[in-house]
Amino acid sequence: MKKQYAFLVDTELCIGCFTCAMACRNYYHQVEGVVWRQVYPLSEEIYPHRERAFLSLSCNHCENPECLNVCPVNAYTKREEDGVVVHHQEKCIGCGNCIRSCPYGAPKYNPEEKRAEKCSLCHERLDADLKPACVQACPTKALQLIDLATKQQTNQIQYPAGYPKMERLNPSTRFILPKMPKMVRR
Amino acid sequence: MQSMEFPLVVFTVLSQAAIGLTMMRAVRTVSGTPDTDARKEWLMIAGLMALGLLGSLFHLGHPTGAPRALVHLGTAWLSREVLFAGLFMGVAAIAVLSAGVAAKSAPAWIGAALGLGLISSAGMTYAPPALPALNNALPAAFFLTSAVILGAGFGGWFASPERQPLMARIFTSALVVGLVLYLIAPCVWASGGTVMRMTGEAWFASGFYWAHIGILAACLAVIWKTKSIPVWLPFLALAGELIGRAGFFADTLHTAINMGGLY
Ligand code: SF4
Ligand code: SF4
Repeated sequence: MKKQYAFLVDTELCIGCFTCAMACRNYYHQVEGVVWRQVYPLSEEIYPHRERAFLSLSCNHCENPECLNVCPVNAYTKREEDGVVVHHQEKCIGCGNCIRSCPYGAPKYNPEEKRAEKCSLCHERLDADLKPACVQACPTKALQLIDLATKQQTNQIQYPAGYPKMERLNPSTRFILPKMPKMVRR
Repeated sequence: MQSMEFPLVVFTVLSQAAIGLTMMRAVRTVSGTPDTDARKEWLMIAGLMALGLLGSLFHLGHPTGAPRALVHLGTAWLSREVLFAGLFMGVAAIAVLSAGVAAKSAPAWIGAALGLGLISSAGMTYAPPALPALNNALPAAFFLTSAVILGAGFGGWFASPERQPLMARIFTSALVVGLVLYLIAPCVWASGGTVMRMTGEAWFASGFYWAHIGILAACLAVIWKTKSIPVWLPFLALAGELIGRAGFFADTLHTAINMGGLY
């Protein structure tokens, strides 16, 4: 099997500090209001917690990317060598179809460029044997880069509650669930 | 509430009016005797489509790149939509140039077939997995209903007196179908997942939605009273479809708004 790079989000380790999201902004200097990586707090219906739990999400570099399928001008490609879904902004005509269509809200509209943009998994950094900026910055190692073609840990799951289940797209991000808090009888 | 996508409202509704008129023209050619001036009707069809296409350009960040939107016919329904819209426009333009007072049926049938292609590909474009309430045949059904309502409504302007009742019957049936569809869809969403349910609630809480329903019902009341389509009535129906379409874009919720919450 060819490489398929993916983000692994360990929600047990994630402390919701937003360092990953800030590292992405520091690296790419997106215009105001455009966010490629976002940290979503899990609602209490899902995780009845005293402490909180978070999903750190950007593009999932899906196996069958909806963004790529719906783009009328072929502005998206999926890299053969590692499965990274790259948006080529110079080709984009800013129709917003990918933005409407990606269930994970990954592509965003850049009002200055008048085109879409999204996380392309720091593919230039990958090519230089560096980690993506968000992964490198995570202080707790809650965010990691994995290759789905190699053996995965058995506790990794694909669709935690709070994350849209889109089997046809087959998003590559994997999660380790937070442990439920212990109930202490007073 | 998300964006009401004004250029897309103009494009979809005006192109559907043009397609509806073409379909009604095709229907009226079946029984032989030609209607009134064919060229005027084709002029209106071509004009509506041209206006719609022009409006759609305002939706693009880079309108000059619009012709490139044809390059991904393999999987992108938007590319197919652009192709059908272009072909329909071509047929309408040829029909304007070639149509005399005598009606030819071929352009109407070809136009109606291309129009159905445009409605189905637009239906697929606006039915992505990210909009769970619309990730089904509903967008195509809404678009087809708009086409028939507007086509029969404005078609009354061009139909001969003996075919007026036919246009009125089709107009009435399409209004009833539209009302039923728009009243039932949000109720069905209530029994779906979280984002679908939220969409149903957003539609029911929306002024666009109730104004649209109100106008459909008013059109129905007028035609019930007059038993024919008054000349001004299609304008009211057009206003209703424009308002309803603004709601379609503005009030349908995207999965990403509930990330971190239950689906
Ligand atoms: S998460 Fe969205 S933008 Fe990323 S590859 Fe999948 S469909 Fe495309
Ligand atoms: S906004 Fe750009 S990248 Fe997205 S679908 Fe349209 S042309 Fe393609």
